[in-house]
Amino acid sequence: MLPLCYVFQSEANSEMSMTEEMNPQETQIQSLLGRYLEARETQKRASADGGSHLDHDLLSAFVEGNLSERETSPIVSHLVDCSFCRHVSAELIRLDAAFAENEFAVPHTSNEPARISEVLSGLFSKIFGTSDGAVFAHQVDDENDEQEEPAEEDKEE
Amino acid sequence: MQLNPQIDDKLLAHNESVINEIYARCCDNAPNFGVKSDVFRASLDKTAAKYLYTSNPASLTEDECRSFFNQIQAEDLFMAIACSNGNERAWWEFDQQHRGYLERVARHLAKTEIDAQDVIDTVYVELYGTRVVDGERVSKFSTYSGRGSLRGWLRTVIWHSLVDLHRASHDEVSLDEMTENVGEGMAHASFAAAPPGGETEMLDELTRDRYRAVTVKSLSKAFSSLEDHEKLLLLYYHVENLKLREIARLVENEASPLRGWFQRRSATRDGTGRTHESTIMRWLEKSYGRVLQLFKADLKAEHSLTSAEIDICLELATQDLAANDLFKDLAAAT
Repeated sequence: MLPLCYVFQSEANSEMSMTEEMNPQETQIQSLLGRYLEARETQKRASADGGSHLDHDLLSAFVEGNLSERETSPIVSHLVDCSFCRHVSAELIRLDAAFAENEFAVPHTSNEPARISEVLSGLFSKIFGTSDGAVFAHQVDDENDEQEEPAEEDKEE
Repeated sequence: MQLNPQIDDKLLAHNESVINEIYARCCDNAPNFGVKSDVFRASLDKTAAKYLYTSNPASLTEDECRSFFNQIQAEDLFMAIACSNGNERAWWEFDQQHRGYLERVARHLAKTEIDAQDVIDTVYVELYGTRVVDGERVSKFSTYSGRGSLRGWLRTVIWHSLVDLHRASHDEVSLDEMTENVGEGMAHASFAAAPPGGETEMLDELTRDRYRAVTVKSLSKAFSSLEDHEKLLLLYYHVENLKLREIARLVENEASPLRGWFQRRSATRDGTGRTHESTIMRWLEKSYGRVLQLFKADLKAEHSLTSAEIDICLELATQDLAANDLFKDLAAAT
């Protein structure tokens, strides 16, 4: 029996406990399969033909795990074949997991947020040097504004 | 509007009544958003066409449709439509509810505070929309379907924007190189091969080559024979280097089809609530077991190898792995 000469750097502990429970041949096939998949990936990437990819909406819905079996099947098939989308989905899974572990409320820095048109004007100025070209077509709710303004006056008083 | 000729009028009428119920609920929650019912219905029709009516729509039942529409993140969608229309109140709410989160995601992913701020600014501009088509401003919000949460969608938008930002500042960089420099991707290492051992080669080179070739063929065949969800699990773990806890997060939802597939495959229920790393480990072990079984069966049936020879194949392949040359001619072997 040859000694196993591979370890996963990122999850050495998990991997150790996994190999303890597998028979020696399963451990061998695990190493072989891991390397085979890497080699297969390199080959697939080299011959990638730039086909269609999953959009933001499909990817985020899949990563959240809320899709039905009917919806998920074609996505899983696509992810097996498309290394680009699989890679993006893996990054989003990492991100989702990272934020799930650190969920906490973010305090708002401002009690009275600027009107969105002001915020966007600032952004357009910053990005384009001017906000002249920006298309502002807000549906300003006058009634609502009237409700908010007295509150501001009250605060000043 | 007839979205799909395979869906009968009765089902469409049923769906319309469900959509009307959802619309009424959203209006109660956010009466100032100014979303008109026809706009909301058109948006949900678009979502249904994208997700619900794609696979064998003729077999859809009323229950399936109702369940689908009830799973839609209707309040998020309502806000997105209102923001897309430029409703001031909706933008105010959006900014209040999501800016802090967007900033956290951007800071988590970006290397510098400047990059993070640039991405947030860019995303806000994209969400508002600067492109005008047929006299109408096109907002990024119009691509949100409500099938997942708005936060999940925003996270994806931020991630892509950051990759685009990186790409813009580094000409001709591949996605892999870029993502290695964005977020956690840069922290993940792959296999580390130890130096080759000093095993004495006992078999002549011709025999070795024969075993080597059939090993790669059978391994490839064994992997191809797996079901897609098993393949994806193995690819996420071995190629994308996702950690067990990250994969566990993907199947956290009890209704997750991936979770259901693995539970059916292993004929066990893994309980309710959180999926632990140990569960994913068990699923992986089962997949390795299946690959080994298929691999051996193929070597025996297709290449007439005995059990002893199969053992030799495995030993040799493991030796070759150390020398990094087992899969160098993968294209030729498969």
